[in-house]
Amino acid sequence: MTAIKAGTAIEHAPGPARYAALRLRGAVLSPVTGSIVAALLLGAIILAGTGADPFTAYRAVFTGAFGSEGIGDTLGESIPIVGLALALAIPLRAGLVNLGGDGQLVLGGLAAVSVGLYSPFPSAITVVLALLAGMLAGGLWAALAAVLETRCGVPLLVSSLLLSYPAMSFVSYMVRFPLLQKGSGIPQTDRLPEGVKLPEFAAGSGAGTGVSVGIVLIGLAALVYFVVDHRTAAGYEVRMTGLGARFAGYAGVDRARLTLRLMFASGSLAGLVGAIAVLGFPYRLVDGSLTTPGHTWTGLLAALLAAASPLGTVAAGFFFGALTIGGFGMEQETAVPQQLTSVLQAVVIIFLAVRGGVFRKGGWLRRLGRGADPGPPATASPPDPETTAPAPARGDGGK
Amino acid sequence: MNDQHAAAPGDFAEVEMRGIVRRFPGVLANDRVDLRVETGEIHAVMGENGAGKSTLMSILYGLQRPDAGRILLRGAEHSFGSPVQAIAAGLGMVHQGFKLFPSLTVTENVVYGDEPTRRGLVDRAAARARVAELVETHGLRVPPDARVADLPVGVQQRVEILKLLYRDARVLILDEPTAVLTPAEADRLLEVIRGLARSGRTVLLVTHKLGEVMAVADRVTVLRDGRVTARLATAETTPAEIALAMTGRRIDLDRTHPAGVPAADVLEVRGLTVSAGRGAKPLVEDVSLTVRAGEIVGVAGVAGNGQSELVEALAGLRPATEGRVLVAGRDVSGASVQRRRAAGLAYVPEDRATVGAARDASLADNLAMGFHRTAPLVTRGGFLRRSAIREHATRVIERFGVKAASPAVTIGTLSGGNQQKAILGREITHDAPLLLVEQPTRGVDIGSIENIHARLVEYRDAGHGVLLVSAELSEILALADRVLVMYEGRVVAELPRAEADPHRIGLAMAGGTIEATVDPDPGPDSDPAPTTAHLA
Repeated sequence: MTAIKAGTAIEHAPGPARYAALRLRGAVLSPVTGSIVAALLLGAIILAGTGADPFTAYRAVFTGAFGSEGIGDTLGESIPIVGLALALAIPLRAGLVNLGGDGQLVLGGLAAVSVGLYSPFPSAITVVLALLAGMLAGGLWAALAAVLETRCGVPLLVSSLLLSYPAMSFVSYMVRFPLLQKGSGIPQTDRLPEGVKLPEFAAGSGAGTGVSVGIVLIGLAALVYFVVDHRTAAGYEVRMTGLGARFAGYAGVDRARLTLRLMFASGSLAGLVGAIAVLGFPYRLVDGSLTTPGHTWTGLLAALLAAASPLGTVAAGFFFGALTIGGFGMEQETAVPQQLTSVLQAVVIIFLAVRGGVFRKGGWLRRLGRGADPGPPATASPPDPETTAPAPARGDGGK
Repeated sequence: MNDQHAAAPGDFAEVEMRGIVRRFPGVLANDRVDLRVETGEIHAVMGENGAGKSTLMSILYGLQRPDAGRILLRGAEHSFGSPVQAIAAGLGMVHQGFKLFPSLTVTENVVYGDEPTRRGLVDRAAARARVAELVETHGLRVPPDARVADLPVGVQQRVEILKLLYRDARVLILDEPTAVLTPAEADRLLEVIRGLARSGRTVLLVTHKLGEVMAVADRVTVLRDGRVTARLATAETTPAEIALAMTGRRIDLDRTHPAGVPAADVLEVRGLTVSAGRGAKPLVEDVSLTVRAGEIVGVAGVAGNGQSELVEALAGLRPATEGRVLVAGRDVSGASVQRRRAAGLAYVPEDRATVGAARDASLADNLAMGFHRTAPLVTRGGFLRRSAIREHATRVIERFGVKAASPAVTIGTLSGGNQQKAILGREITHDAPLLLVEQPTRGVDIGSIENIHARLVEYRDAGHGVLLVSAELSEILALADRVLVMYEGRVVAELPRAEADPHRIGLAMAGGTIEATVDPDPGPDSDPAPTTAHLA
């Protein structure tokens, strides 16, 4: 590094246009883009191997997802994925992994449907109350996982995941017994009263698309996350905790409180997704309907892919949503099973993991692992006579 | 001192490295480096951090391959793909972090990987006899049957040397060997090194301590920015000349700063104890101390005697089991980090890579920490002001001479010295009455050391109190108005500046008689001899 006088270099910061160009360049050359391209190439090889024409198949995916037939479905599919991706990104930004999205999601759905069914208030107020109840239920359940970590020393990874199962069983029980629709052979609650639903946009294929005001709510959540992350002291503390948990602690960030708040926010958002789901078609809670599509896990992948950055998480979530819907289109058009798109999803992640050096020192999974473990890094490692090489001298940026 | 063992037969050097080039992305770590070491010589390789000395040694030892250049041992060319080949060619290296099995005995550690066998089984008797013989010949005074875990660090280091001798290493590479030793242990090590040279072995000493080099080395090769800047014979040079070659400018090595003018207490600690868990000896035991405004209190001690734990407990990063802590008159015993900082405490931690900074965050973000909740960095509405964050960073960067292209670079890309200046700058900018500083110049180049010391003194003179923990005795002596010595978690000595000399501090650092309790044959020099100068 040349020894430029620090001050002068700062005064000549790149202008906005140049800055945007740099950002664009960074995005194009980022490992995320590289992984997606690599996955598409590998997918093409698999397609060619099965005798299909990769170009036709990919075109079918694209038109399936973004054509006039598909765009509504893509948006509908993306709402829960993006919502859950954001929910899981929030703690991930601080290096905390919330694996309990499913439990928080279904509790949110249950709370919303209960309020929707039994609220004595006019339907507009009921809808708002149902949304809030969903958020509260998911948030409290996630907060419980946080308390288990900060007070009882159960790692968040474990506490959040394990709390998910009783939550799902409880919701399943509620749907199958106390709230079961009389005379129905399907494990589902009664339909919400007429009017207790989120207003829907008049999308091309009608009511079934599920494109409702929910998309606005999720968009709003993304916006709030973006502003908090980029522009507030709290967001700064979260980012610094994610980049260096011990640094943040040293500087006075109260990790326990941060964990609690982030998990509450995370669970609330997951709960909101559940509430949005039951306040849309089919306007009731059907047992298993929220978790079967695996949106939580797709969302987690999206959050990981984007390293929890607000815009990136939305983009990645939308990408996965489009891939799923596009897969259906491809299956119809080309007889290539839509499972191929799941393969693509997995391959993207694997390539990204390889590029990011998951298992390398300082790789991102390592970092997450460290973030999830509040204890000091283990120091006791067996000595390795003669063979252990010291880390190669790093490219020292300057003197 | 080595007239009696002149150059090897045929005028071949024991080790010769010619035109070594090694590139890392963006850095030329070694730029056509030539190194010639004669048989039986003690040859020091000096340079600041990042000068390329570790890279050079890694190349010699087969840990890295050079991009260009040749390695000759006694005139024969070698190309090592791994340390195994280097060891077979007669090289041996003692790394900074020892590579020993703590639960095994000295003999077991030494013969590991090359055990003498009898009918296919390890011949323990032969192994022990061979190790004992080596200990005897080289005057190493290591008990062959002791468990390594029970030995003090200085003795463990000699076990490492034994390992090399057992493998018949003709050339021993010692990487910063005195970094972890008490002054007395360091002196003994230098004695061992002299003995090795007398027996015809060649020692390559990688170090940044000028005093040691002057005391023990025959010749010095100095590197700066990957190039050789000087080849000197210690008999014909001065520490100042070596320092000049290392840094490229004159450094005042013997600078001691004028004493401070103490005023009111800014830190009062009473009976602080940090438990290590039930049954274990406390990490910090019943420590009481005060720091007044306008003074630097130095805490000396061999690393691992409770200094880090003491400071962490004061900073609120480690719970204290007992005791009271008052910062600027406010009782903060049991308080959170945040409350302690609010009471008037700033802290430069020992581990700057993971505690003092978030490596992957930008310099600006790192410097904003602690200022991010108050104006001018946030608006009244609670939003961060990016421009203010950048200005704040620029101010710290300029005031403390941090060399960085812009506040937007990630702090991890800066050199150790610049990272440290940035962290110190941030903490000093807090303007807290009390500054805790731990190992402020570890891994920092000489040029920055001078700068950092001056900053600390300046901070003191501005009416703040400083608690300085350092394993470098020279640093304590240069800066401290009062010296506390910690040994096994206790403060065992408190010396005013006038009485603090290396001998007395060294004695206290060793707990008086530490070696004698372990060494099978304490010998006449178990009392620490007066230390050689520890200049850098």
